[in-house]
Amino acid sequence: MRGVAAFGFASPWLLLALAGLPLLWWLLRVTPPAPRRQNFPAIRLLLGLPTKEETSARTPLWLLVLRLLAAVLLIIGLAGPLREAGSALPGQGTVLLVIDNGWAAAADWSARIAAAQGILDRAARAGRDVALLATAPSADGSPPRLSPALPVAAARARLAALAPLPWPPDRDASARALAAVRDAGIVYLADGLATGGDPAFAGALKAAGHVLELRAPVPLRLLLPPRATAAALIARMAQIPGGATPPAAILAETGDGRTLARVELRGAPGAATAERAIALPPELRNQLARLVLVGPASAGGVVLLDERWRRRPVGLAAADATAADAPLIGDLYYLRRALAPFAEIREGDLARLLASKLAVLILADRPLGEGVEAEGVARFLAQGGVLVRFAGPRLAAHPDDFLPVPLLLGDRTLGGAMSWDKPAHLAPFPPDSPFAGLPTPAEVSIARQVLAEPSARLASETWASLSDGTPLVTSAARGPGRIVLFHVTANDDWSNLPLSGLFVDMLRRIVQLSAGVAATPDATPLAPAETLDGFGVLGPPPPAARALPANALATTPAGPAAPPGLYGPENAREARNLADGLPPLAASAPIAGAQQASLAAIGRTRDFGPLLLGMALALLALDLIVSLGLRGLLRPRLAGFTLLLALPLAAHAEWPASPNPALETRLAYVVTGDGTVDQVSRAGLAGLSDYVNQRTAAALATPAAVKPGEDDLSFYPLLYWPILADAPSPSPAEVNALNDYMSHGGIILIDTRDAAAGADFNPGGAAALRRLGRELAIPPLAPLTVDHVLARTFFLLRDFPGRYDGASVWVQRDQDRSNDSVSPVIIGANDWAAAWAVDDEGHHPYAVIPGGDRQRLLAYRFGVNLVMYALTGNYKGDQVHVPAILERLGQ
Amino acid sequence: MSAAAATGRAEALAARLPPLLLAAERVAATVAQGVHGRRRVGQGDSFWQFRPFSEGDPRSRIDWRQSAKSHRVYVRETEWEAAQTCFLWRDASASMRWHSARNLSDKRARAELLLLALAALLLKAGERVRLLDSGPLAGGAAGLAGLAEALDRAPASGSANLALPGDAPLPRFARIVMFGDFLAPLDEIRTMITRLAAIPVAGFLVQTLDPAERALPYDGRIRFLGLEGEPAALIPRVEAVREAYQHRLAAQITGIADLARAARFGFFSHTTDQPPETALLALYTALA
Repeated sequence: MRGVAAFGFASPWLLLALAGLPLLWWLLRVTPPAPRRQNFPAIRLLLGLPTKEETSARTPLWLLVLRLLAAVLLIIGLAGPLREAGSALPGQGTVLLVIDNGWAAAADWSARIAAAQGILDRAARAGRDVALLATAPSADGSPPRLSPALPVAAARARLAALAPLPWPPDRDASARALAAVRDAGIVYLADGLATGGDPAFAGALKAAGHVLELRAPVPLRLLLPPRATAAALIARMAQIPGGATPPAAILAETGDGRTLARVELRGAPGAATAERAIALPPELRNQLARLVLVGPASAGGVVLLDERWRRRPVGLAAADATAADAPLIGDLYYLRRALAPFAEIREGDLARLLASKLAVLILADRPLGEGVEAEGVARFLAQGGVLVRFAGPRLAAHPDDFLPVPLLLGDRTLGGAMSWDKPAHLAPFPPDSPFAGLPTPAEVSIARQVLAEPSARLASETWASLSDGTPLVTSAARGPGRIVLFHVTANDDWSNLPLSGLFVDMLRRIVQLSAGVAATPDATPLAPAETLDGFGVLGPPPPAARALPANALATTPAGPAAPPGLYGPENAREARNLADGLPPLAASAPIAGAQQASLAAIGRTRDFGPLLLGMALALLALDLIVSLGLRGLLRPRLAGFTLLLALPLAAHAEWPASPNPALETRLAYVVTGDGTVDQVSRAGLAGLSDYVNQRTAAALATPAAVKPGEDDLSFYPLLYWPILADAPSPSPAEVNALNDYMSHGGIILIDTRDAAAGADFNPGGAAALRRLGRELAIPPLAPLTVDHVLARTFFLLRDFPGRYDGASVWVQRDQDRSNDSVSPVIIGANDWAAAWAVDDEGHHPYAVIPGGDRQRLLAYRFGVNLVMYALTGNYKGDQVHVPAILERLGQ
Repeated sequence: MSAAAATGRAEALAARLPPLLLAAERVAATVAQGVHGRRRVGQGDSFWQFRPFSEGDPRSRIDWRQSAKSHRVYVRETEWEAAQTCFLWRDASASMRWHSARNLSDKRARAELLLLALAALLLKAGERVRLLDSGPLAGGAAGLAGLAEALDRAPASGSANLALPGDAPLPRFARIVMFGDFLAPLDEIRTMITRLAAIPVAGFLVQTLDPAERALPYDGRIRFLGLEGEPAALIPRVEAVREAYQHRLAAQITGIADLARAARFGFFSHTTDQPPETALLALYTALA
């Protein structure tokens, strides 16, 4: 019966009941059907009437057949007919079930367990005992052991206790466990991953008996630790070259499970690895805690990230710690504010800073002393640190060795009282500078600076210079580290550079340039803190896990003693991933001489019992209706009701959308054509509508998607319009529709979605707004202040954040009495829809940046104010006159 | 019965009454055209005509107001009111509440319709009508409503046999019209007729049957259930006994007809699939 579907019964002895069918037939034949019942007033005349023929009526033959058929179906259905797909059990005697339970089996673990259960079912039907062997070393460190031959029920319990483990199987040890077995029927659930012990294992299996090898068609994938570059994180995935390569997706997640990015990646069919850059703004990138492969959970699909990829601690030190904190004039005042969004700032005296791990050390006009300080900084540079220095009077007076270029003594002053010169401006950045591409604002002027000693190398070491060619920022490599010197102070004494946005961008580039936390691992033992289980979930370490030396963390092969996970003390966790110390992925060779089958086929035992029972019940229900009909008890209405009960309930029909938008108040958004943006708009307005419905007396229906020029806009009080950078210019019809909408009391909320961190997500939004807005009749605008009606229609608001925070919101400047002083257009860049958005499960799919529940709450409050403003116009504005009106009325 | 309950009852009756009364009035109106009324001078209350005074008339009968208008003296004559009370009865037993098909009225409704129609005709003709079991003496057009109300009132619970008129006292030479299915044993019917004929009264029996009771249109194995607690009858093959049943029914009808003829009572049989007008016409001509 190899490869042929086999029929069987779960409880064959029930089929004996079929022998009783002739008796049932005879009983049904001799028993007349129940008479119909009929009310009859003239019954007295019927009583005692002589009946000429006494042949009793019989059950009709077709009804008899129907009932017998129902009985047959019932008996066979209860006996549990089964159809076993796939191959039969090999060999005779004890069934030996060998299961690979290493990390590679986790991706389709449930399918494997189902297949193993199918094997156990068959063994139970065949009356064979089962012995189990899991090939991965167990979590307590013991090598794979063969269980004794167990009855199927006991084997089931052991099977249920099996779980995939986050390390590869140990096939050498498994081969030793199999050494004593002979002439067994072996079923091997292979994970398809090649290990060093494969030949010995295959030999042991062949020697032990007949082998049936089951393999899954799932492609093996292993997420490798990413490479960090200045601009992006390069996610890497290993695959078996030559195998099937369906596209994969990688999620970049924060420690609390929020997904910050998703990238698709598809490896070339012949390649062993696939790569894809994850570009994230630095402040988001610093929040990343792990990369996860989309799909079935597995330890191989999770990469934990630690400080090497994430944190860029920046140390700040100034010569005079107290004066450095002075607002607006302190040395560190501007640095602190420029760095805070994207870097972790540490302050303190230099010795303490050097003792902790830093990526960047910034010294603001602080000369370095000889001895301990100089040695510490030299060590920091030798570990790959970046030292950034700012000039100042002290440094100009006492130049030291840690400067990229030799300085001329003293400084020069431009545009002072005693000078004919004007303050100098910036020249465009040279193309090989890390600042290349940053705009050079004309308002940045340098009044005073230190001068570099001219030399041949000066030009190549200059990252930024003034328009007259004087170097402003110089840099030199010092071993693996780097020294950067700003030839001006870090406050606005010498220049207004720290006041400009350029200053923030320059610091950002420099911090990105650093290699993360510079650390040369030593032999310090690091204890496992949290480790991954086979499905890639962090948990307590297994009992066999041992502390590892820090320099061996990335090279020790994974095993019970060294599971992947986070090691080290709480404030300096180091990630150890499964891929560390694993050989390249390769597919294991099939066991020679074994019978091969697919994993999917074996578990599929079709049970026809419920189907037959259902058919029998349907026939009995039919018989009931027919019997009622024959007895005259069936009323049409009752029959219809019975049929209705018998029929499965119709699928929930979708309510058709209301054809008339005027029937309910609803918000609307402009369809941009970009599916993602439209989906965000829809989810955002739906979330806002829900919030407004909960909090206020307004009742908003599901938001509508509108296309200006095609749809009638007059039904909607508020139109949300996200601006795409590549949005096409509106057609005249669209322009007319929008202008008409604005001039007749409509409000358009225009969102360029590029405030703060959004500039990286949606670059060019502001430019697109200028392009689109040229056509529209937008009145003169002014920033939205707390005195504006919009800031006080429902909640009293001071900020108006969305997903991002900080951008000004613009409303109409003049009070237009013809439109009740209601601003027809509100322009902002905070990506409000993403903050309002709620997905089907009621979660907020988009993290707010910089974050916090408070920001989302404020975003919702702004939304409520906006809806109230749109619905009530200047009603709330008129409320300010109430005291005056009451006074005039004499009350 | 409290006043409120009585009002509610009256309203419920009023809601139900008009169709019945209207149908009865309509049936009676079509019949009245073919029959002459009793339009002559005689004892009565209502004005009939003025007649010149002639010798022998008592002076008290002179209508002075009319006489003062001319030189002659007039006597006021009233219409003859030869009012006779007609007793009506219908079978109120449970077996009358039955109809074989949805579009047929049940037997009791038909019997009551005929009763009310007859009462309407009689009242128009100036007769007095009265339900045998209960109810006040009804006269005049308003009496019809009272009669309908009395019909609707549940019969006295103590009366054991509702299928035949009880032994309520009847004045001599009264008239009685009985509606019912008269499926009781012939002996009981004979006793009833004999008792009535001995008073003596003039009687009339109207048998209301359902067409299914005449034809027994059923087939197969049927358990027949009575409506008044009779034992059930299981007939294995109804078509086999149909002929015998119809013979029995014919014998019952013939037996009643014979009994009625012997007591000089009128009798006819009526099925509910026939129009009620024909029955009423036959009844009216027979009573006139």
